[in-house]
Amino acid sequence: MLRAMLSSMRLLLIAVSASAFFVGTEPGSPADLQAGQDLAAGCAGCHGADGISEAPLTPSLAGQPDEFVQWQLVYFRSGARKDEVMGPIAQALSNDDIRNLGAFYASLPSPKPTILPDGLSQAGEKLAALHRCRSCHADDLNGFRAAARLSGQREDVLLKALRDFKSGKRVGSGVASMADATFELSDADLQALSHYLATRP
Amino acid sequence: MTLSATLKSGAATMLAIAVAGAALLVATDTRSEELKSYDSSKKDFWLHPPDDWFMGDETQEQKGTHVLNTLPPPTGFTDDEIKATLQKIKLPPGFKIELWASGVPEARQMAWGKDGTLYVGSFLATNVYAIKDDGGQRTVKTIAKGMKMPTGIAYRDGALYVADIDKIYKYDNPEANPDELPEPKVVYDDMPPYPPHGWKYLAFDKDGWLYVPFGPPCNECLPPTSTSQIRRVNPGNGLAEIVALGVRNSVGGDVDPRTGDYWFTENARDWLGDDVPSDKLNHITKIGEHFGYPYCHQGDIPDPKFAMGHKCSEFSPPALKLGAHMAPLGMKFYTGDQFPADYKNNIILTEHGSWNRHQFQGARLVRVTTDPDGKTVKQTEFATGWIGEDGKYRGRPNDVLEAKDGSLLVADDFTGAIYRISYSK
Ligand code: HEC
Ligand code: HEC
Repeated sequence: MLRAMLSSMRLLLIAVSASAFFVGTEPGSPADLQAGQDLAAGCAGCHGADGISEAPLTPSLAGQPDEFVQWQLVYFRSGARKDEVMGPIAQALSNDDIRNLGAFYASLPSPKPTILPDGLSQAGEKLAALHRCRSCHADDLNGFRAAARLSGQREDVLLKALRDFKSGKRVGSGVASMADATFELSDADLQALSHYLATRP
Repeated sequence: MTLSATLKSGAATMLAIAVAGAALLVATDTRSEELKSYDSSKKDFWLHPPDDWFMGDETQEQKGTHVLNTLPPPTGFTDDEIKATLQKIKLPPGFKIELWASGVPEARQMAWGKDGTLYVGSFLATNVYAIKDDGGQRTVKTIAKGMKMPTGIAYRDGALYVADIDKIYKYDNPEANPDELPEPKVVYDDMPPYPPHGWKYLAFDKDGWLYVPFGPPCNECLPPTSTSQIRRVNPGNGLAEIVALGVRNSVGGDVDPRTGDYWFTENARDWLGDDVPSDKLNHITKIGEHFGYPYCHQGDIPDPKFAMGHKCSEFSPPALKLGAHMAPLGMKFYTGDQFPADYKNNIILTEHGSWNRHQFQGARLVRVTTDPDGKTVKQTEFATGWIGEDGKYRGRPNDVLEAKDGSLLVADDFTGAIYRISYSK
């Protein structure tokens, strides 16, 4: 009984506070979803029509946390995250563009997983628990602020990201970062984790 | 019971707050009730503390609080936005605050060079900056890049000192090349490699020794023997002595100009609640004094797990309780003549503000008055207003430094800016 009540309250509260999060209280003008959508037309060729990518090694952006998208664009722009394609694209973006894009992609329905759980994903699930991925990526692995949504991301993208972190090619953000969350993980572990994450709704 | 009746009961309201705070974390996932914990008793932990060590003692009550909530907006702040915040800062009558320099990402400890250059450390921005003031026109240069966390900065006799997690570097005559620091000398490296609580603060005493804090690589654990202490280091010959034990995370301290005693701020453990335990201002009165960590917090709360039979009366109490989760960092004794006379030898300390609390608090400057022996210690708010009406941070002060004219510079790593506080009748 209590449990049932709690879970209905929780749903209510999620609804309430989710809307509260979109009130433009950050500095600068409040994000402009329409402007974000207009700009994103130029990204759709690679990142997919609804922010759901069908291109190899290209991330889906739909349903990513607003702040995660913004941070990555800021890192591409400053060169802190290096990528030949995204670097020049991000350099052309203003702060307002970045805020609008973040808000736009966060507003899109997130991708549905295209693969079903199997033995490999079960191994990945255990690793995710052991290595505490939820501490930053949220209990549902749907991302939290600067930490990416992992659920339903393309498997090849996840694996490349983890390998890039492991090899030091990609350096994460500061305080709570991936810098060495991959420290004790073997390449087989990275494969299992990516597979598991890609199966998650 | 109706939903509204439920919401009225105290416990449910508390829960509602907790859940709302965690809104983005909550989902249908069955694991959402699981709390993070770690086992700090194994060698693995000491070899490589987990990346999420700060979450390691999570409780249901504090669930939803997260350091990721305290990151600044990714696109940063414009000067106009910073100035708008400064207009709302409350100070005692006669004081004013202005923007002194911006474009100083994650600005931390500050020190003056011999020609009026301001040197500034940073956190994970990994930079050291030099700021030149040319008739009110300030230019910020990044003179070192790619360090670990060069938070601790000091300057003495024509040399700049930078404490970067596990090494203290000395740069002779850093003014010679305004664009880049010269090759450093390592003057001290008997230091553990841990990034967690490994970021440092530096304070010279009159003999030219440096006070250096060594924080434990955890929230609450039995600290490795090389940590949870304050050392006094002679950068001339690399000798050092332990002056205080039982210290958690200290990133601020200064030598009392009247007595030569070292006073320092200390951040108390997390995950015990919104309002306990209190952070501390401590005063070392005898060498090797023990301030209680991990056994006892705020001088009078035995740790629920790590007290292990110890009583708080075994340890030195704080000189002053500063309040829970205030996160006191850089501090200085005020020795200038510009502020009113009763500010002389007061401590001005910065409070960075909370993360492990449902509503942010702190993000302000505090004035502490004390007699030389530390018997009568009192605090009053000095500068407040860096938490907006929406409860979000607008700035997070973390260090202060007196300027030649007696005004006070303030470093803010949230806005990446330096402010100046001055007084006139
Ligand atoms: C030519 C193809 C292409 C175009 C056009 C493009 N991107 Fe990308 N983008 C990529 C690729 C490939 C990556 C992955 C880079 C890597 O592996 O590090 C990426 C990565 C990103 C990421 C990081 C996501 C993550 O999960 O790490 C963001 C955010 C992003 N792009 C946003 C944009 C936006 C916004 C636009 C339009 C303004 C855009 N991209 C246009 C190819 C493209
Ligand atoms: C201490 C917090 C923290 C922990 C623990 C953590 N992550 Fe991350 N992770 C982040 C942050 C923050 C980012 C955003 C990227 C950055 O740092 O720039 C990220 C990014 C990622 C990305 C890249 C996503 C993308 O689209 O670009 C992957 C994949 C990832 N994490 C997987 C994991 C896995 C798997 C684990 C557990 C083994 C884990 N993370 C544990 C904080 C964390």
